[in-house]
Amino acid sequence: MAEPLLEVKNLQVAYGSGRKAYSAVQNASFTIYKGETFGLVGESGSGKTTIGRAILRILPTTGGEILYKGQRINGKISRALDKQLTREIQMIFQDPQSSLNERAKVSYIVGEGLQNVRPELTAAQREEKVRQALLDVGLLPEFASRFPHEFSGGQRQRIGIARALIVEPEFIVADEPISALDMSIRAQVLNLLRQLQKQRGITYLFIAHDLSVMRYISDRIAVIRKGNILELADAEELVTHPLHPYTRSLLSAIPMPDPRREREKQLLVYDPAMHDYTAAPPAWRQLRPQHWVLCNDAEAAQWLAGSGTN
Amino acid sequence: MTQDPILSVRGLQIRFGLRGRTLHAIRDIDLDLYRGEVLALVGESGSGKSVFTKSFMGLLDANGSITGGSIDYYPTPGCVPLHLAALKTEKEWLAVRGREIAMVMQDPMTSLNPLKTIGEQITEAVTLHQGLKGAAAREKTLEYLRDVGIPDPALRYKQYPHEFSGGMRQRVVIAIALACNPKILLCDEPTTALDVTIQAQILQLLRQMRAKYHLTIVLITHDLGVVANLADRVAVMYAGDIVEIGTADEIYYDPRHPYTWALLSSMPQMGVKGEDLFSIPGTPPNLFAEIRGDAFAPRNPQALKIDFVKRPPYFAVSPTHKARTWLLDPRAPRIEPPAAVKKLQKEGL
Repeated sequence: MAEPLLEVKNLQVAYGSGRKAYSAVQNASFTIYKGETFGLVGESGSGKTTIGRAILRILPTTGGEILYKGQRINGKISRALDKQLTREIQMIFQDPQSSLNERAKVSYIVGEGLQNVRPELTAAQREEKVRQALLDVGLLPEFASRFPHEFSGGQRQRIGIARALIVEPEFIVADEPISALDMSIRAQVLNLLRQLQKQRGITYLFIAHDLSVMRYISDRIAVIRKGNILELADAEELVTHPLHPYTRSLLSAIPMPDPRREREKQLLVYDPAMHDYTAAPPAWRQLRPQHWVLCNDAEAAQWLAGSGTN
Repeated sequence: MTQDPILSVRGLQIRFGLRGRTLHAIRDIDLDLYRGEVLALVGESGSGKSVFTKSFMGLLDANGSITGGSIDYYPTPGCVPLHLAALKTEKEWLAVRGREIAMVMQDPMTSLNPLKTIGEQITEAVTLHQGLKGAAAREKTLEYLRDVGIPDPALRYKQYPHEFSGGMRQRVVIAIALACNPKILLCDEPTTALDVTIQAQILQLLRQMRAKYHLTIVLITHDLGVVANLADRVAVMYAGDIVEIGTADEIYYDPRHPYTWALLSSMPQMGVKGEDLFSIPGTPPNLFAEIRGDAFAPRNPQALKIDFVKRPPYFAVSPTHKARTWLLDPRAPRIEPPAAVKKLQKEGL
């Protein structure tokens, strides 16, 4: 698993320009290895979706680099590389209600990508591929001739997944793929994503605001707040030994289906004013094995001493 | 907890007419809501949980109607009840809406008027329901803003909804509901549109407000995790019916209905990394069609033969806990709950 697939280095993304510019991502760095599920957790406005979109080249970056298989993919790139990326990097969207073209049949929605990346296929071959893609996500092939409004939320999300899969991508950015779904459907979609990963070795960037889902699905998790990545570690390590107070507050807020524990729960509220970075600015440090935190010296010592109490 | 019902529902049926077809949204529900409790209604979309509570306020869509049963509301213990299911005109409903029963909707982005200041919107409720005017109404409004945890109320009073974040807007919506001085507060997925940390804060706020204003709260959600720390009792809804009801401890640690088992074990919190999550196959039943037997049977791999033929009655597990499943019949074969449920029962999470 040591082979890096995607490297994000000091990424900066801003909306608007000049004096009106709003910096959504300030300084994000992380590496996603081949075959893993990398989780990006943050609240609304944290910049997690912005990072996902920058990787897909939907948004221009203002600084830093994004490397895919060692090649720089942000900024100006060659046409050939652009084509390769369209094929190899795909996205699954959050809201299955608004991410499908209401006027197109499922066969077109799912098969459209093929017309672009595999123009050599005949219509019959494309149809066969659509059939297979629908079967892969647990839908019936005859759904191809129906329209999106005929499906439930879970089925629509599966159509969205089939659309991403059909071009045989190596890397998928899944932006909150289950938050709009019902509880019982969430489990179905999570299982599907996991099975596809096992069968095809797909690498995921999984974006969500819910640490409980992340713990289950991700191998490693990065916590992002206001455009800064605050903490990064293996999923279990992060949940059992959170160091940054923000991560701790996120963990304390997870609702648990356990009334006795819930009644005793202390809610930790994170106050960003607690950091005094005027004298000692924070840096990205490795405090425990493969566990990185954005902090200064004093905080590092203090947080390490307090770890394990959560 | 006293067992004094503030709202008593008997044999309630609600139907919707849609393009000449009839949808049975609520099929024969009995429920007692006790004074001062927090009752959670848990179920998937389409289970009828929103429709059920909307019927308490006469807010059903025009094509829907109560076709059977009764909803009796007891404003004070032991008094003559008000028959809500029999109310017809808007004028009759006005005496109940807000004044007796108020509602907090799911999406704080759309439930406030964008053209009026926050202060005006709360004052409106204060004036209408508490008869206060001018400076007294303003003073009261500021008090509600402070109560729901909005910092700097005097400044916020003059601001518009777009100047508030999602969590703050939901606090304002709760303040408006409180300003009506209701006895029952219906919260329809109050935290679904919010971030996890904000969700926890809003739930905490609801708990404080319940104690301060002696509210009875009905909390609607699809997420069993959310209600574990707030609910006294939990009712699990499926296909327009309450399939299991009990105290929170009974539902989480000793669930009996296969659907409750499935809901609990499909939560990601219960998942073991690297193994498949438990997932419920299929989708909820079509409510246009007649449902025979146990509505959950087609999705339940361990369903008994009788589940497809006869609708199960309620079997009492304890005086506070009952479930609609044939598994509780003495003649039924013993079927063990799934591993995740047993684990929760034994050691918690």
